[in-house]
Amino acid sequence: MKTIFLIASDSIRALLHQRLLLGLMLASLALTIFFSITMSSVRKNITRTYNDDQMTNSSPFMGTNQMSEGDRRKFRESMESASTTFQAMFYQVASFGGSIVALFIFSTAVASEIRKGTIRLTLSKPVSRTQFLLGKYLGGVTVMAAFALLTSLAILIFAQTQNLELSPVIKWAPWLMFCRQLMLGSLAMLLSLFMHPIIASVLAFVAGNGLYSPPNPLYFILPSYKDFNVFFQVLQGSLLNARDVAWLSLYAADFIVIMLLLALWRFRTKELV
Amino acid sequence: MTAIRTENLSKTYGHGWNREATPTVRMLNLEVKEGEIFGFLGPNGAGKTSTIHLLLNLIRPTSGTAYLFDRPVAETEVHRRLGYLPESIILHDYYRGRGLLDFYAALCGVPADARTARVAELLKLLNLEDAAGKVVAKYSKGMAQRLGFAQAMLHDPDLLILDEPTASLDPVGRKEFRDILLGLKRRGKTVFISSHILSEVESVCDRVAILQNGELKRVGTLPELSSGRSTRFVVKGLPAPLMEALANTAAQVTLTQGQATIRCPDEALRQTVEQMLRQHGVEILRTEAETQSLEEIFFATITPPPKL
Repeated sequence: MKTIFLIASDSIRALLHQRLLLGLMLASLALTIFFSITMSSVRKNITRTYNDDQMTNSSPFMGTNQMSEGDRRKFRESMESASTTFQAMFYQVASFGGSIVALFIFSTAVASEIRKGTIRLTLSKPVSRTQFLLGKYLGGVTVMAAFALLTSLAILIFAQTQNLELSPVIKWAPWLMFCRQLMLGSLAMLLSLFMHPIIASVLAFVAGNGLYSPPNPLYFILPSYKDFNVFFQVLQGSLLNARDVAWLSLYAADFIVIMLLLALWRFRTKELV
Repeated sequence: MTAIRTENLSKTYGHGWNREATPTVRMLNLEVKEGEIFGFLGPNGAGKTSTIHLLLNLIRPTSGTAYLFDRPVAETEVHRRLGYLPESIILHDYYRGRGLLDFYAALCGVPADARTARVAELLKLLNLEDAAGKVVAKYSKGMAQRLGFAQAMLHDPDLLILDEPTASLDPVGRKEFRDILLGLKRRGKTVFISSHILSEVESVCDRVAILQNGELKRVGTLPELSSGRSTRFVVKGLPAPLMEALANTAAQVTLTQGQATIRCPDEALRQTVEQMLRQHGVEILRTEAETQSLEEIFFATITPPPKL
């Protein structure tokens, strides 16, 4: 276990020294901030428009700033809907950025070591191939966990400053996003042991967007990222409960374990020069 | 116990459906004893590095088996006794020199309390103390090679496998490297060196193996490899008929102040000449086995590539 942690810590160190990865993370963050500002201004416009409507339709007996109970409810619902959609879209953007980062991290984790030849030194030490691969995966998981944490903090801070109430669906978003990225990563890592990391990344991304659902048997063979996307849940008006999340987590864990087992099988027989 | 043993070890690349098979190692049977410095020679493409990769379990043999300390190379535990320096070393360049050695020492299982001292000792031994705090990406080729050598010795392994270890070193570095190897030999360590620098191998190795096209051509100590190849008879006077007879052979005759030296380049000729000398009743003052240099042995062993 100690060896796996050593490989993982080395992997984290390597990732943090990758300029391209840092660039991707910054780009993802910048995109999220840009999107947040845009959405914030849209929300303000909605409020302003609603207030203008109130001004126009106001009765001289009720006063310009008075709203009927029905109007208030309508306004509150409209704001809640805008807020939830906004939060869901925030996660859609963050999740897309995270997916790119995950694909980059996991598809290159082992492949780049083989390409550069640094793996030869590591495996000349008492390190088994299983320990090496699991260490690399764990390193990637740690970086992705940190990224998911940062994104969660970002939405919390943003919601706080904009007086947004987090919807019940949104509270599961970071976890589901994290699960989705680990699924993508495990598939990308497996494919990168057969092909170039870029092709592996593209295939891993495309393979999971088949939008299969049970009872379609492809759902159990190909990865399905659809249910991990909070945006779709919000659009469909379906609220995720703890049971759904547990089921999705189990699906992700099962998928990741299968991908890792396949990756281990491939890696143990792979020629490393 | 042998440090390295291979049994009919073969590696062929590209075998299988619709691909042309390229054998790189063919039925290699090799034994390296514990405590010896073993030179592994061969021209480019002879299969030296492939053999090393097989020994390290980085590639799988097509057939045959390889053992380190009598255990299959696939056993990870056997790597605790192994140090490896690859050809054209590429290190994790995001570490500082000291940090990288510390990481590898931890991987090798060097206890945390002994690690700092061991790393410092090796940095000093390889003259890297001043560069220890520098990022590895900024190391010169020679410095990276020294650091690579240090990482191979971190856990004081019983066997060192060195692939072209001095390729990037200057003459001073090569001398220091030689001294370190001799020190390791005195301590009973086994060193397996693949190198193109024949003089270097000759100066430190107990035995050598010569490989060509994946086949083991010769293996042995220098005297073993050169014995029977060239012999000198120093004799007292040569009668004219014998001189004439010798002139019709490949023997080389040199006359000096009443003595003659007859050089026989191979064993068959040595036997013929010795018989002729006895038939003519010539007194043989002494017989000297002429030891060839490793370079001579090497070029006599390998088949030159066809001229274009």
